[in-house]
Amino acid sequence: MASRYLIAASIALVVVSLSFAVAYGALGTAVPLENIRSLARAYVTLAYAPWNRTLTAMSPEAVTSIVWDFRGVDTFFETTVLFGAIIGTVTLFRGIKPSARIGEGLSIIARSAAAVTAPMILAVAAAIALHGHLTPGGGFQGGATAAVVALVILVTFSLGYLVSGLSKERALMLRSAGLLGIAAVALIPLILGGVVFQNQAKELSQFSYPAYIGGALTSGSLLFYNLFESLAVAAGLTLTIMLLLSPHEVVEEAVRGEEHERV
Amino acid sequence: MIEPVNVALGLAALSAVLSVIATYLAVSDRDLLRALIFSALQSTAYAIIFLVLMAPDIVLVYVPVAVGIYPAVVLALIKRVGRFEGGEGGE
Repeated sequence: MASRYLIAASIALVVVSLSFAVAYGALGTAVPLENIRSLARAYVTLAYAPWNRTLTAMSPEAVTSIVWDFRGVDTFFETTVLFGAIIGTVTLFRGIKPSARIGEGLSIIARSAAAVTAPMILAVAAAIALHGHLTPGGGFQGGATAAVVALVILVTFSLGYLVSGLSKERALMLRSAGLLGIAAVALIPLILGGVVFQNQAKELSQFSYPAYIGGALTSGSLLFYNLFESLAVAAGLTLTIMLLLSPHEVVEEAVRGEEHERV
Repeated sequence: MIEPVNVALGLAALSAVLSVIATYLAVSDRDLLRALIFSALQSTAYAIIFLVLMAPDIVLVYVPVAVGIYPAVVLALIKRVGRFEGGEGGE
């Protein structure tokens, strides 16, 4: 019982001291450097600036234009970190073969509700990913939302139902296709005489992805990055969920089998 | 007359208080399944705060990850280690 009071007191202490510190200017009431805001101002004003075609990202979504254009290499390595974690999970669970035996699942009510909502979630995910260069959202957000569909299907219909539609190998293939797509979009400018991660034409390198396709604003490379990132994230997270939620016996068996082979 | 901005900030403050209570319950509850639900509640409160602070990009990634994928992964963990913390009742 005493530990409960201790936990409550320590949480309260952290909250009160943090809010006190923030309210009294611990984060700094004045920005230290002289012109630090000009960088942010440049990003926001140049995100969509058709009158300044050599500096703009041609995307009204400032966040996406920073994520995939102005700071594209940062995002590339963030993606690398995420997929390092996913590759680690896949390696740990490498012996597991999720069986495609379709189980009972939940009641007919739950299954019907899931059958109606799953395509709707998928549609929202596609909208988040493919409109990522126009409205808040982007590849990661859309991909994570799409992975929730796999989760809903897994819980309501059973793991076997999910695996019979999207096997482990196929999920791995989709993830690799997404990552290769990102790499290709980043490297195509280099092959065609531009620089790595180039989106729009710059003063010194004239390569440019089309900002408009058929009259619709596609913001050059941003649409493709969002498309491939959502594919990679959706497949990668689905794969992780599939492996982590595999039955206990299957995991035990796979791990034990490995050890026997080594001895 | 209450300014709209104060309504929004009040909503954020309310969510912040809710998140603190949910955090306490999540940390102190010995039933890990209930702790997980409280944790998701705390995440929902955070999502509202992010929305009020005009960070919709974060909201869109926070909702599926914190309310969908994270509980699923922790649920898998709870299934392995037993539902109750501290021995009795657990497996």
